[in-house]
Amino acid sequence: MDSDAEMPMSSDEEMLDDEDYYDYSDMGEADEEEEEEEEEGEEGGDGSEGGEGDGEGDSDEELVGGDYEGREAEGSDEVVSRREQRYIVLTEKDINERQEEDISKVAAVLSIRREEACVLLHHYKWNISKLSDEWFADEEKVRDIVGLLLNGIDFPNSSKLTCGICFEGYSSDAMSSAGCDHFYCHECWEGYISAAISDGPGCLSLRCPDPSCGAMVLQDMVNKLAKEDDKVRYARFVLRAYVEDSKKTKWCPAPDCTCAVEFVSDGNYDVSCNCKFSFCWNCTEEAHRPVNCETVSKWVLKNSAESENMNWILANSKPCPKCKRPIEKNQGCMHMTCTPPCKFEFCWLCLGSWAEHGERTGGFYACNRYESAKKEGVYDETESRRERAKNSLERYMHYYERWASNQTSRQKAQSDLQKAEKEQLAKLTDVFGIPETQLKFIIEAWSQIIECRRVLKWTYAYGYYLDDKVKSEFFEYLQGEAESGLERLHQCAEKDLQAFLPPAVRPENNEPTTPSLADFGEFRVKLAGLTSVTRNYFENLVQALEAGLEDVHSTAQGTTSSNTTTATSKKAGTKGKSKKPLARTSSDNSEEGWPCERCTFINLPSVDACSVCDKHRY
Amino acid sequence: MQASRARLFKEYKEVQREKSADPDIQLICDDSNIFKWTALIKGPSETPFEGGVFQLAFSIPEQYPLLPPQVRFLTKIFHPNVHFKTGEICLDILKNAWSPAWTLQSVCRAIIALMAHPEPDSPLNCDSGNLLRSGDIRGYQSMARMYTRLAAMPKKG
Repeated sequence: MDSDAEMPMSSDEEMLDDEDYYDYSDMGEADEEEEEEEEEGEEGGDGSEGGEGDGEGDSDEELVGGDYEGREAEGSDEVVSRREQRYIVLTEKDINERQEEDISKVAAVLSIRREEACVLLHHYKWNISKLSDEWFADEEKVRDIVGLLLNGIDFPNSSKLTCGICFEGYSSDAMSSAGCDHFYCHECWEGYISAAISDGPGCLSLRCPDPSCGAMVLQDMVNKLAKEDDKVRYARFVLRAYVEDSKKTKWCPAPDCTCAVEFVSDGNYDVSCNCKFSFCWNCTEEAHRPVNCETVSKWVLKNSAESENMNWILANSKPCPKCKRPIEKNQGCMHMTCTPPCKFEFCWLCLGSWAEHGERTGGFYACNRYESAKKEGVYDETESRRERAKNSLERYMHYYERWASNQTSRQKAQSDLQKAEKEQLAKLTDVFGIPETQLKFIIEAWSQIIECRRVLKWTYAYGYYLDDKVKSEFFEYLQGEAESGLERLHQCAEKDLQAFLPPAVRPENNEPTTPSLADFGEFRVKLAGLTSVTRNYFENLVQALEAGLEDVHSTAQGTTSSNTTTATSKKAGTKGKSKKPLARTSSDNSEEGWPCERCTFINLPSVDACSVCDKHRY
Repeated sequence: MQASRARLFKEYKEVQREKSADPDIQLICDDSNIFKWTALIKGPSETPFEGGVFQLAFSIPEQYPLLPPQVRFLTKIFHPNVHFKTGEICLDILKNAWSPAWTLQSVCRAIIALMAHPEPDSPLNCDSGNLLRSGDIRGYQSMARMYTRLAAMPKKG
């Protein structure tokens, strides 16, 4: 046991050196990190000595543990603060609080009731300054538009009233009005409100049932008269309206997620919700860097266009030109009005705004704009484009299959990550006595794999729409490199790790068959190295693709500037992904790089030891 | 169900009581089904429908009056907002602008008003709407009058 304990100690020291080198030469990360790694290594040694646990060792471990935590916290803080500059994730509670805040503010400033403030804000799309400007300019007008009556109507004198809906007589205390003098019985109110709520968010601007009366039905009225579940639904519509009315907030599209994301600055739209779902804030598809939203929507549409469902929608419906919801026209005239809250009026034939129709366009129902566009061939071209797309079906299938298989791999990796978090780390702790906090590198590897699979997946959509031949070639090369780099990492995380896990059925306590702590240390270096190498490669790949592979032009023109990768130097250079693979200066063009046996990193020919893991070349 | 029945019954009683109140509208409830009504309405004066009597069919949903009744012309009519073949009516209060405060009686009144003031901007009968939109009032009126004579007036002799 003693000799065993000695071994890891020495190996850890070796490892420590590795990391020293690793940090300085390759990663160029902060010294602080290197220090941590060092201590981390020591801690591993201490841990393996286990039972002996003298006082000093313990305190050392504590200190180290504390430091480690500290670094973690610092790191994540940094991430958070960087993230917060771009966007803020709002939980339902946050949304509620903000909404309440806005409502109370307006209620106080305009000295009106909370419910009145709520409908006013809804009407003005939660734009407080616009609301108060218009309110103070002409309160009466605003009240009139929104349907807020100034003075409550005196209760009618007669004790018995007739409900305007069911025509039954009721005593006046069993009747209510929306502040106007149209009284209805509570049962009819309940039905009226319920019908409006099941019609959708339009119920937020529900008015008195009397067609000639514009009095707004406020939330307190709903709460007084509606059924329990209708109250809840109404409150949900109010909450939803707060997020949906604002141009800066959007719901997280993940199923069952109730968070919204507020986007603060411009720049890249990829956001990550509290529920861990990453999506593009701009188009609310899943996160899709390096591909832009337009390409994604084309691609997604293309994918689903194959299905019957989409065919039906395309054949029988058109998207509302304003809010894009598909609309089926089943009867009636060409004058379409989208359902609230959109209410856009448009012409079914040309999808133009109805307001622009008239004699000019040749009448209202035989829309000339459509006819003339057809004559000019605008629509024919859409047709022929469709034809061409059919012809390229095979090409499409090629990209689709790869896109889809990366998607599947990604889902598998997600479940593997959970497995690692839930089971594997605990087992490793059992076997090697390393605390789980120090096995984070496995989690990081898996997270990186998931992220890379996502990027890789979208590169296939990117490739499908890339029609520049030179760029295509270069792109495919980069993609191939990315693919193989990720394969190495995935393989390492998936297969190599298995060797260190106790087999399902263990014959006896067979010490020799269990890999040593030294082996595990090596595995750790390899996996961590591959993770960071792959991360850098993909980050650069994303940037290069987002920039539209700009530097390819110079390659095509044959100029060799110092930061332009030529086809030959790429082969030697790009695998040295740690720096800037796509704009990398290869110091040596004449000789191929050499792959490290341990971590597979492709090193420059000029070095004799691996830049990642310090393993010697020969 | 119960509420709609009760309300329709009230409307029925009202109709019986005020039979002569509005001479232009005659609402008749189906003998065996209170959810089926027909109405006879007189074409408004100073319109091409004057002198005609038009039959409407009401089909009333169980959620009435929270949902609007379905109404269509049984008598053929040449009007921009009425489908020439099916008699379907394009009228906002029968669709999204419905309010439970409307009654069958007031729906009939609204339809009479629609006959007098067609809305050629949302046509169901494009030929009819086209005549109006192009300013051919005479053409529109003579077509409408012809169909009123053919379909909505008692055959002479």
